[in-house]
Amino acid sequence: MLLNRLCGACRTRIPWIWAPMCPVCGRPGRCVDCLRRKLTYFKGARCAVQYRDEMRDWLADYKYRGAERYTGVMAAMLSCAMEQLRNDFGGAFDLITAVPLAPGRLEERGFNQAERMAAAMAAWYGIPYRPLLKRTRDTEKQSGKARQGRIADMRGLFAPADDIPAARSLSGPRRILIADDIYTTGSTMNDCARAILQAMPGAEVYGIAWSRT
Amino acid sequence: MRATVYAVRLRTGWRARFTVDWDTDEGFWLDAAYRAGIAEGWGMPAMDLAQAGGAIVRLKRLLPLGEAEAGCRQVQAMLNGERGLEAGEVQALLLRLFDDLAEGRGKYAKRSGWRFGRLKGRGANKANEANELSNGAEEGCEILRASVSREGRGMGAAAAKLQAMRVRALLPLMEGRSLLQAEAAAMLADRAPGIAPGAGLPGLLQLGALLGALRLGAAVAPGAPPRARRLRCRRCGSGEAALRRTACASCGSAACAVCEACLALGRSRACGLLVRGPAPAASPLGATAAAAGPSAADVCARWGLSRAQRAASEQAVRFLRAGREPGLAVERAAPGRAGAAEGLEPATLRRQVSPRGHVPAVLPQHWVDNVRALLRLGYGRLHRRQRSDDDAIALETPHGDPLAIRPRSFLLWAVTGAGKTEMIFPLLDAVLSAGGRALLATPRRDVVLELAPRLAKAFPGRSIAVLYGGSGDRWQQADLTLATTHQLVRFGQAFDLVLIDELDAFPYHGDPMLHYAAAAARKPDGATVLLSATPPSAMRRAVRFGRLPCAKVPVRYHRHPLPVPHVLVMAPLKRWSGGASNHAKNVRGLNNRIADKQAATLYARIESSLARGAQVFIFVPYIKQIEALVALFRRQAQRWGISATCIDGTSSQDDGRRDKVTAFRERELRLLVTTTILERGVTVPRSDVFILDAHAKLFDEAALVQMAGRAGRSADDPDGRVYFCAAYRTLALTGAIRQVTAMNRLARKGGYLVERSHGGRRIRLSGVRNDKFNPGRRGGGR
Repeated sequence: MLLNRLCGACRTRIPWIWAPMCPVCGRPGRCVDCLRRKLTYFKGARCAVQYRDEMRDWLADYKYRGAERYTGVMAAMLSCAMEQLRNDFGGAFDLITAVPLAPGRLEERGFNQAERMAAAMAAWYGIPYRPLLKRTRDTEKQSGKARQGRIADMRGLFAPADDIPAARSLSGPRRILIADDIYTTGSTMNDCARAILQAMPGAEVYGIAWSRT
Repeated sequence: MRATVYAVRLRTGWRARFTVDWDTDEGFWLDAAYRAGIAEGWGMPAMDLAQAGGAIVRLKRLLPLGEAEAGCRQVQAMLNGERGLEAGEVQALLLRLFDDLAEGRGKYAKRSGWRFGRLKGRGANKANEANELSNGAEEGCEILRASVSREGRGMGAAAAKLQAMRVRALLPLMEGRSLLQAEAAAMLADRAPGIAPGAGLPGLLQLGALLGALRLGAAVAPGAPPRARRLRCRRCGSGEAALRRTACASCGSAACAVCEACLALGRSRACGLLVRGPAPAASPLGATAAAAGPSAADVCARWGLSRAQRAASEQAVRFLRAGREPGLAVERAAPGRAGAAEGLEPATLRRQVSPRGHVPAVLPQHWVDNVRALLRLGYGRLHRRQRSDDDAIALETPHGDPLAIRPRSFLLWAVTGAGKTEMIFPLLDAVLSAGGRALLATPRRDVVLELAPRLAKAFPGRSIAVLYGGSGDRWQQADLTLATTHQLVRFGQAFDLVLIDELDAFPYHGDPMLHYAAAAARKPDGATVLLSATPPSAMRRAVRFGRLPCAKVPVRYHRHPLPVPHVLVMAPLKRWSGGASNHAKNVRGLNNRIADKQAATLYARIESSLARGAQVFIFVPYIKQIEALVALFRRQAQRWGISATCIDGTSSQDDGRRDKVTAFRERELRLLVTTTILERGVTVPRSDVFILDAHAKLFDEAALVQMAGRAGRSADDPDGRVYFCAAYRTLALTGAIRQVTAMNRLARKGGYLVERSHGGRRIRLSGVRNDKFNPGRRGGGR
């Protein structure tokens, strides 16, 4: 297990989510976001860790500073969310995809952290990975934004990627998994799910995220 | 990022170039109006700009920057001396070479295709094929003729003029810098918001490169020729071991190298742009300073140094000024000409030859030359290395390998508590007054913060930049730069003098990246002065064989000898610190009782130290031992006649460290258990030092000398006590003692010590003499 490579101090500091409470998003506590949301396009989501200070630092190192060597560890942590999701919603998924970055940011950063994690999950669980989504416009960075702002920002932000053949939508896979790094209000996840359902009506969409605020 | 490769024919022949902004290059070579605008903004007749003498052959495909740069170098090697080549031939050459490269890339692509193909399934493969087809239009070369009118394609003349003026404004900011693109953007936004171009930054930088003012290159690139096959980070000098290859979305390469060693200072990668300022002018130190400046003795006299300090500083200042001159003299090689005629004190010259000063003052010049050649001081070499600027836009070779340039270094070896900081001032003075730039790099941030006001006071009227992680002066250009060591990677060929404090301390110790950064920050003809109380053995060897000029300060500022450590042989800590509880005592039996007896000896010495009013440092190798020891000592506190709250421990993981050290200094704490974290830079008047487990591997010779150097630093209690408590003697331990005694001997020989009575050991503490305790067999009075 990759997590064994961490030192004891770091390993004990990970704030795992052991007991998800919200049946939809798996938050370990009362979850107003899922109650308030009018339309939830995804069936369920699970997150691996709580987004505390240490985790924020780890993610900042990984995303912004570009410490790509973290990929393995982050993916290993994400797989805990995967396990929870499989426990609660049952096993097999037909496709895994990742929340895309804006092209400009992708070029600047050089990699999409969600995609890297999703690719690792794909390899470990034997689920084919495919980029299904694209961003319709650039947004400001989501970090440091109020709840309402995020939700308004996210509306219609994602669309199905151009190269999903229309024909595949009918005979295509049924259970699709979206991977992301942070789940805050669920608006990103929800909009991604909406975009996927738009391209493949009848599919079931689930989400995993590395951390939950 | 990706770059375009092209070949352009100049008057001197074909030249292969890469560009990060093709529009700028296209305008520069082919658009007359654009050129006119540039020339106007740059302040130079358009005729003097480098001119395309014919066709330009451009590779249509964009390449990852690192590949483009490396490929350019190869193409240039083939084009050299082939003046008569036709555009068509050049095109064939380019295609051949970069198709080779593409095949190399294809290998990676194939591999990654296999990997992703498996993940993506069949549909993705189809998409890949489609992609490749669309890329097909981008293959091949394009030949552009200068005669074809480019009106309206590029920017107009006015925009060009503005751009060129921006480059001019940018230049002073870039001088001596070595920045990643993101850092350059941040610097511009901070220092020159008026010209910050936002997304147009590559174009601006590219124009600077075309004008020969900036040097662009990939941040990770193949090394200097003997190691040309391996990549190396140009910022921190890390080799393949620190490089990680990943698929990169910004250059499209499947194996783009990223340097992980300097990641904390921004991402340096094979497709990342590294911008370096204009090549530096020759260092102002040297001829002019030696001729016009005040003599070394005068420079040093101002600073109120002790005799030993002044002697060493003078030697260092002479080194700074004189180092260049002998080299010139050798090159001019006029046998029989007297040294004095070369505008230099001949005595200085000779002292360079033998740092220990064994060469008599008067020698025939040719003999001196011979000796110098024999010692291979290598002074002439720098000058032969000077760049030839026959072509205004010579390819950006001077990125070069900073380590390849033989450093002109001087070691200032001053014992702990000698007052190294004071000795820095005359050196800085010598450089600054000659108009040079100086850098003082120290490992610690608190030292930087403490020194900054003192330097500002000592050098009024000089600009000072204070750099550390998160400092506000980050992009300031100053005469005098004070920085923590990691900040050095943002400089390139910037300083005439690089002063490195505590070069054997933590960040330097075993980190080649910082050595590289220090070498890269120095101008090619600049000098390095290293400061240390405990130079590493390789350096000591270099001094012994005369490869490294050196000045020693063997005595502390108060002119008393260093306290010589006593060795107490006792069982290792693990045996007795845990043995305090009764349970453990029963279990461990005999061994334990022996250990306790030895511990009692230690307790007695601590008691005597406390009784004479000293502050007691206890050093242990590991953090985990501190807590247990503090508990153990607190139980003894009653017997020692202090309260248990006067005993505490601290380590690097303790947030209250600063407060505890302050409390210790103010005698609220009497006994402090700590690790090597406090081995340097801490001065506590009237302190005694106990090093437990002094045999531990973690305590090398330097650490032991440094820890021993915490004792006896103040003038009113110059002979503190130092005890090495070890289970056995190690090389490091005996070496440390030898170093201390050798320095004392040197000081005595040099006559630096104060005369003192030999009537036993006197403790100057409010008249109380310490005769309660008889130290026994070993290690008592001297």
